[in-house]
Amino acid sequence: MKIIVCLKQVPETNNVKIDPVTHNLQRNGISGVINSFDVNAIEAALELKDRYGAEVVALTMGPPDYEKTLRLAMAMGANEGVLLSSRGFAGADTLATATVLAAAVNKIGGADLILFGRQAVDADTGQVGPLVAEKLDLPQYTYVSKLNLSSDGQIDAVRMLDGGTVRVNGDLPAVATVRSELNEPRYATPRNIKLSFKKDIVVYDEKDLDLDDSEIGQAGSPTIVTKVYTPTATPKVTETLEGSAKEAAQNLLTKLSEKSIL
Amino acid sequence: MKMSEIWIYVENHFNRVDPSSLQLITKAKEIANGRQVTAVILEDHDQDFENTVKQYGPNQILLVKNDNLKNASDETITNVLVDLAQEQKPDTILFGATVTGRSLAPRIQGRLKTGLTADCLDLRFDDDLLVATKPSYGDNIMCEITCPKNKPQMATVRPNTFEAVVDGSSEPKINEVEVTVDVDPRVTVSDEQGSVSNTRSIGTAKRIIALGRGAQSESIIKKANELAGKIGAIVAVSRPLTDLPEFSHEQQIGQSGNTVAPDLIINLGISGAVQYVVGIQNAKTVVSVNTDPKAPIFDVSQYKYVGDAEAFLDGLIENV
Ligand SMILES: Cc1cc2nc3c(=O)[nH]c(=O)nc-3n(C[C@H](O)[C@H](O)[C@H](O)COP(=O)(O)OP(=O)(O)OC[C@H]3O[C@@H](n4cnc5c(N)ncnc54)[C@H](O)[C@@H]3O)c2cc1C
Ligand SMILES: Cc1cc2nc3c(=O)[nH]c(=O)nc-3n(C[C@H](O)[C@H](O)[C@H](O)COP(=O)(O)OP(=O)(O)OC[C@H]3O[C@@H](n4cnc5c(N)ncnc54)[C@H](O)[C@@H]3O)c2cc1C
Repeated sequence: MKIIVCLKQVPETNNVKIDPVTHNLQRNGISGVINSFDVNAIEAALELKDRYGAEVVALTMGPPDYEKTLRLAMAMGANEGVLLSSRGFAGADTLATATVLAAAVNKIGGADLILFGRQAVDADTGQVGPLVAEKLDLPQYTYVSKLNLSSDGQIDAVRMLDGGTVRVNGDLPAVATVRSELNEPRYATPRNIKLSFKKDIVVYDEKDLDLDDSEIGQAGSPTIVTKVYTPTATPKVTETLEGSAKEAAQNLLTKLSEKSIL
Repeated sequence: MKMSEIWIYVENHFNRVDPSSLQLITKAKEIANGRQVTAVILEDHDQDFENTVKQYGPNQILLVKNDNLKNASDETITNVLVDLAQEQKPDTILFGATVTGRSLAPRIQGRLKTGLTADCLDLRFDDDLLVATKPSYGDNIMCEITCPKNKPQMATVRPNTFEAVVDGSSEPKINEVEVTVDVDPRVTVSDEQGSVSNTRSIGTAKRIIALGRGAQSESIIKKANELAGKIGAIVAVSRPLTDLPEFSHEQQIGQSGNTVAPDLIINLGISGAVQYVVGIQNAKTVVSVNTDPKAPIFDVSQYKYVGDAEAFLDGLIENV
């Protein structure tokens, strides 16, 4: 059994500022960390490794320092790391990102299961998993909170909906995007951390993946960000409720009923 | 030439139309500027979602009734919607940014090779271009995104961002079409299981009592439920409290939980982390109680009380 886990590196903080001159996001100096939801995807893969001896390949597209995220995955127990890195990949939207990831999955020789985090915490679209599934013509199991594979090539998952759950099952190979409710990620062990630095990381660019320049990066991205700004929250006028808790509560009830809110 | 159309995919769960679809119909009509607003309904023969949808006054309902659409998988729905879109060429397709919408829309985007803007908070047209406002970095940054070269233009829109308004001014035309439903044999979807306390009720609740780490004792939870019963509110929580046996993800407000838009929310013992606050920004009246006078939650509140949450709760229960 082979599992590919797709990982994204994101800015460590959500407190990103906009450059007043260029109107670009100032990401300089903010170090990157693995997207938190992707740690659950790694854990899901490692549980299958523990159970079935699955081979786990960590895959990411990004600048060379995304190697850090691959090393983390290997320190947790992934067998291999593959980095998709090229200037040509820069500026990709979700469609162009998925094109590159899908080509890499094929290059690696496919997998029984391709795992994704529920969404990236920065751009927050959650689109890359379903897009890769579509590009590879595989069934998708999104937002799963339970996931079981059987040795005879079946997948059985529970998808969490906004107001309930639904069970979805079928044949492998498949794509799954996982929720943090799925599992408790393990920590890297000292032995695996040591091992992770001994392993080579494979790097591919568009030529290795046989991709045309028009499909990747900005050229392959139908969406364009035309404006970036910091929302100016209309400051709320805050009224302090004074007195003892009881007086304050009474005071609130009076005000709410005057305004017919309660 | 055929008039350009905005399609809204009508999502349903537990035999009801998802409120996000109705909200989108109202919003689409507001920005349509001459475009046709078409609600696209896929259902089986026992279902009649068109009866609900037509009250919200789309110009047209595109209806597919087929028993293979019962518990249809994302793959099957994609097959049907892509066929329809390739044939009828809508200008724009909108989905609620629900779990279902966020799963289906990118799959369809991939097959139609077009752009999709996620989880939007606003939509408008600049000439022919759909301009979608998308929050990022935990709603700290907003961007406007367009898709100038490819069609259809697609977006998912955060639920409860717009209000659904009933509009009986004209009777929508119902256009029922026969299509072959190409069922993906690789996937089986079972019946949906509703959670005991439906999130839908959190998403659409008019009054909410929200508990955080500073209000998580058993006695506070009991009292919050008592007050909720008295004022017709629902009890919700910040993320840390979903670890308690009483609560689950279904009651969680925030970035990785639910967006709410009540008339009144009372936050007890919640600090106001940005990931929480994004979930309540559509609340009309915000009341917060916290022992820390510097708690960030106060910055987004109309009424604040600095003090103990339980004592305040006692005060409310006694006097309501
Ligand atoms: C502010 C901002 C807003 C944006 N809005 C949009 C938008 O609305 N529509 C759009 O098409 N693009 C958008 N983009 C571009 C988008 O961020 C990139 O395409 C990005 O490469 C992937 O999308 P995501 O971050 O939303 O990932 P998601 O789709 O949220 O990620 C889901 C999962 O996919 C995997 N994954 C994601 N990226 C990678 C990667 N590089 N390598 C390996 N695995 C990965 C991970 O498992 C991750 O958990 C936006 C970018 C920015 C900066
Ligand atoms: C990617 C990501 C996604 C996240 N998504 C969410 C999300 O969807 N929803 C969410 O809620 N969080 C989310 N979080 C977590 C979030 O950052 C905060 O940690 C969380 O909201 C804090 O919850 P809290 O306010 O209940 O607890 P705390 O921050 O611990 O605050 C407790 C508050 O209670 C006050 N207090 C203490 N005692 C009393 C008393 N007796 N009476 C009154 N007040 C008292 C304290 O002064 C304090 O302000 C997310 C985090 C990340 C990184």
